Amino acid sequence: MLSLIWKEWHEQSWKLGFGSLVLCALALIGLHSRIIDDESMVMFVCFLGVILLPVLSSTGLVPAERGEGSLESLLALPVKPGRILAAKTAMGVLLCAVPLLLAGVVSIFAAGGREMATGAMFALYGRSALAAISLFVWMLALTIRLPNETRASLLAIGLLIFWMLATEGLRFPSVPPLVFDISPLAFVYRRETGRQEWRIIWSLSPLGGVLIVQAAIVAILWWWASKRLAGGEGES
Amino acid sequence: MSEQPVIEMRGIEKAFGRKPVLQGLDLSVPAGQTFAFLGRNGAGKTTTIRMLLGLLKPDAGHVRVLGLDPSMDPLAIRRRVGYVAEDQTMFGWMRMGQLLSFVAPFYPTWDVAWAKQLSDRFELPLKTRVKHLSKGQGVRVALLLALAHRPKLVIFDDPTLGLDPIMRKEFLRELVTHLQGEHVSVFFSSHLLYEIEPVADSVVILDHGRVLRQAATEDLRAQVKRLVAPADAQEILRGLPGILDMSISGRQATVVVEDIIAARAAMAAAGVTAQEIDLNLDEIFEAYVIGRRKEGKDVEPHLERVA
Repeated sequence: MLSLIWKEWHEQSWKLGFGSLVLCALALIGLHSRIIDDESMVMFVCFLGVILLPVLSSTGLVPAERGEGSLESLLALPVKPGRILAAKTAMGVLLCAVPLLLAGVVSIFAAGGREMATGAMFALYGRSALAAISLFVWMLALTIRLPNETRASLLAIGLLIFWMLATEGLRFPSVPPLVFDISPLAFVYRRETGRQEWRIIWSLSPLGGVLIVQAAIVAILWWWASKRLAGGEGES
Repeated sequence: MSEQPVIEMRGIEKAFGRKPVLQGLDLSVPAGQTFAFLGRNGAGKTTTIRMLLGLLKPDAGHVRVLGLDPSMDPLAIRRRVGYVAEDQTMFGWMRMGQLLSFVAPFYPTWDVAWAKQLSDRFELPLKTRVKHLSKGQGVRVALLLALAHRPKLVIFDDPTLGLDPIMRKEFLRELVTHLQGEHVSVFFSSHLLYEIEPVADSVVILDHGRVLRQAATEDLRAQVKRLVAPADAQEILRGLPGILDMSISGRQATVVVEDIIAARAAMAAAGVTAQEIDLNLDEIFEAYVIGRRKEGKDVEPHLERVA
């Protein structure tokens, strides 16, 4: 397992650096220059992280390796496909969470308590990291059999657009509440009771209910992905 | 008591969607032999190999590799089998030394000294990144990784594809001969028949997911012959048992038969004499695969190609 984690770290760590650099620099420059108010700036950085990081991490882990041809060599080793996927997932979780949390730390140092409470800032970055992880697992599961990074990216962006529309864009009564409830973006948005309207959540509570639902969904998706990683797509 | 076969496949069926790839495949590879697995592209060779390693499951039939079921114990099999895939792609960013360190922990029997010996023998630079190695070096890396854990069985899936002729000869003569000396069983899938002929103990010919013939290489060469007779004897030749291919060129009729003894007896009974010509593995393979495909069982003569 350590060998697999070492490999994934070497292959993906540049993305961790890139994502962290982009989000931290954006937060620092935006909050320091005060082009817009702090709340809007924090929301913008979180939004960018939630759309950028899952796509970047999920498409680079399996479809890119399948496209290069080295996934076949990896799967032919005496190791369970589940372990290969576990190492990749661990790296994907780091890629989604670390840049957002680092940007949160930078934001708190730069503008914590100025216009926004430090706790509210921390809560939004934390919830955004959880939303990014959930989206990452969705994308990982759906793109796992795709033959290259380009097609995987298109599908991942499509999925992202779907959840954004389902969560925030489609405010029609015909959208069943279940869609809202299972959305990965439920970590950052809350449906106002009795109204088809969404509000950004600025505190850590309530988190328990969403966490349980999302953890169950993520577990099912991951199990499904692990079954499909070593699928029989080859031919003689 | 005879040793258990290293590979045994019985009644294997596999289809991808509606397309059948393996149709009732039966195969038995005795221990310690170099076994040539021959077939055209798309015959089902790679699918068979992926099944042996537990990377694919058959739709029907049973498989045993080193006495184990690949569907149940794929990891145990992969630990004991060396595998070189066709056009194998490694992790390009790794240096050779890093690649060895990455792969070694997966194999309990990994022999560091033997790996070092192989890397010296294959002249592989340990500090060079895999992506900077030449095609030939890439094949040698795959070989090193397949052999360093001292496997009981080595599976080669067209490993010499992309190598220059000298390297291919070196690979077959030196490496396969070495493995034979170590009593390692070798399962060699290829379509470069002239190269595998000198080292193969047994041969199986696969076409459209079915085994057309499995035999010892010497037996195959002794039994499959080309017969050349005057064209007016074509009706008698057509009636010979086990015809694989038949052609008529000018005043000559030519047939390839898979059992020369039965053919000789039939010709003697009919009072016909024919010239017997030995065939190499390439020609035997062609007779089985192309000859049968053209006409099915009832082989009709065709005009031979003009040389």
